[in-house]
Amino acid sequence: MANTAETSSGPAEQAAGRQNRLERYRDLRFTEEELAVILLTPVVSFLLAVSFYPIFDTVVGSLYTGYVLDIEPRQFVGLENYAKLWNSGDFWNAMKVSLIYTFVSVPIELVLGLGLALLLNRQFRGKYFAQAAILFPWAIPTVINARIWAWMFNGQYGVVNDLLVRIGIIESPFPFLAKPDAALGAMLFITIWKTSSFMALILLAGLQSIPDHLYEAARMDGASRIRQFWDVTLPLLKPTLLVALIFRTLPAFQAFGLPFGLTGGGPAGATTTLVLYDHQITFNRLSFGQGSAAATVITLIALGIAMVYVGTLYEPEVR
Amino acid sequence: MATRDRGFEIETFQWVGKKVGFYGSIFIIALVSVFPILWMLITSLKQPANVVTFPVNYLPQDPTLQNYRAALEQAPFFRYLLNSAIVATGTAVLDVFLGALAGYALSRLRFRFKLPVLLLILGTAMLPFIARLIPLFSLARSWGLLNNYLGLIIPYAAFQLPFAVWIFQAYFKELPDSLEEAGLMDGLSRVGVLFRIILPVSAPAMATAAIIVFIYAWNEFLFALTFMTEDSMRTITVGIALYQGEFQYPWGTISAAVFMSVVPLILFMLFFQRKVVEGLTATGKA
Repeated sequence: MANTAETSSGPAEQAAGRQNRLERYRDLRFTEEELAVILLTPVVSFLLAVSFYPIFDTVVGSLYTGYVLDIEPRQFVGLENYAKLWNSGDFWNAMKVSLIYTFVSVPIELVLGLGLALLLNRQFRGKYFAQAAILFPWAIPTVINARIWAWMFNGQYGVVNDLLVRIGIIESPFPFLAKPDAALGAMLFITIWKTSSFMALILLAGLQSIPDHLYEAARMDGASRIRQFWDVTLPLLKPTLLVALIFRTLPAFQAFGLPFGLTGGGPAGATTTLVLYDHQITFNRLSFGQGSAAATVITLIALGIAMVYVGTLYEPEVR
Repeated sequence: MATRDRGFEIETFQWVGKKVGFYGSIFIIALVSVFPILWMLITSLKQPANVVTFPVNYLPQDPTLQNYRAALEQAPFFRYLLNSAIVATGTAVLDVFLGALAGYALSRLRFRFKLPVLLLILGTAMLPFIARLIPLFSLARSWGLLNNYLGLIIPYAAFQLPFAVWIFQAYFKELPDSLEEAGLMDGLSRVGVLFRIILPVSAPAMATAAIIVFIYAWNEFLFALTFMTEDSMRTITVGIALYQGEFQYPWGTISAAVFMSVVPLILFMLFFQRKVVEGLTATGKA
């Protein structure tokens, strides 16, 4: 295509100014391949330097001791850091917390998000404000959300307690954040509250991209609303569901700000997620080697999750 | 006739019921969404003695701004906000620029190794942030980028780049081929087509990518906490998270601090809500 353009000279009637503007690009002729290399080199090298190299370095670092900011020389210890993790009750506890947190919150968010998306997938008065309101929880930084809810879940004066007492569900204030199961439950509630709207918007996109004529055809065939949902909506929503699931599962598995701001990981580690645990051993105990080992494990699990999703839901594009 | 009227009545009744049900659920969902922020506002306006009461007062009696004064005296929140704004803007600019170039190449040019490159870029999005934290921390330390805006802008831009590339390539893929062909027929080179034709019509994608990346950078916490150790360089998320106040449970001042930090976001969302929705929806569609 670039070659055919080379031979065509602009029509005589074209304004001189336009010609000049075009002239500036005359000499910049590349094949598509050359141009692609030029355009992609900065991006790819940036990613290699700032994303891939660090991961590689983390994996290598996990095989060394690495205490107190390189003051001591590093020593190769093989898989010792991993062995320590394997034998650490705290690590397994963090793994359990992260897995529960991820695989309880994401399915609920998905269902609520889909419901919300179906509600928002209509035209109605005040839609703009409703959407803005529903998006707030997602837009507010996680750690600030955590501070907000720490106050709302306060064991003595929290508004959650007050509402529950007024409704009659509990008789006196309950120390949500001081009881292990309740603290994890509160964390789940907050994250579901926060990210269902995000789910909803991604799914809304998918809903809007389903052509109307498919629904019309289904109606002509006498399909009920529910049938239409199962036979038209869900199958066509599959690629969007994949995107939504990956976009929620991976961040949920890396939860940090919420436990940090809500409970600091307590009580008794009940809300210490893997990343919070990793951050603690790295920057509080300054054990960089073990922190790297934990980070490597987190990476492997994250990639495993992504592969399962892609493997199950990916459909090659028809284009 | 009577039965027809009856049917009409029932239909009207159902119609009204549906409307009430629909708007009612929308209202409740919206209320649940904004309630925590409202609650921070209410708490922040209360007299300190009024904050810690049970049962809770749902309206501040004798409202006061003293919590705001106390919060501002104890921490430089405007400085935190400025830091966040600088970091988030820098990240967004960098990602829009790089994302547009890569997105164009991936969506409209034919070249070898396209799939591996695409997978490399998008695959980056799957890599956990924590696995990049320790080496980048060491690097930032040896290059003097701790407590430096670039120390956050560079990693943030790298982390969100796959997302920006995705938005641009999805947008460019939808552009008609005739647009580029017309430019080529006019004698433009490919580079000319990109800069004179494609980029000018990609303003919607640019806005979308910029806003999504901006929100990410504004909200990020893990790296901001680790890389910005000086109080004057903290971003707003870190400033709020580490804000303790003078007394043991200064929930009034904490609420004031939180509310101040959220106001810019509320305005941002009201202005750019449509764009944010488009951005998220573009991701879902692609």
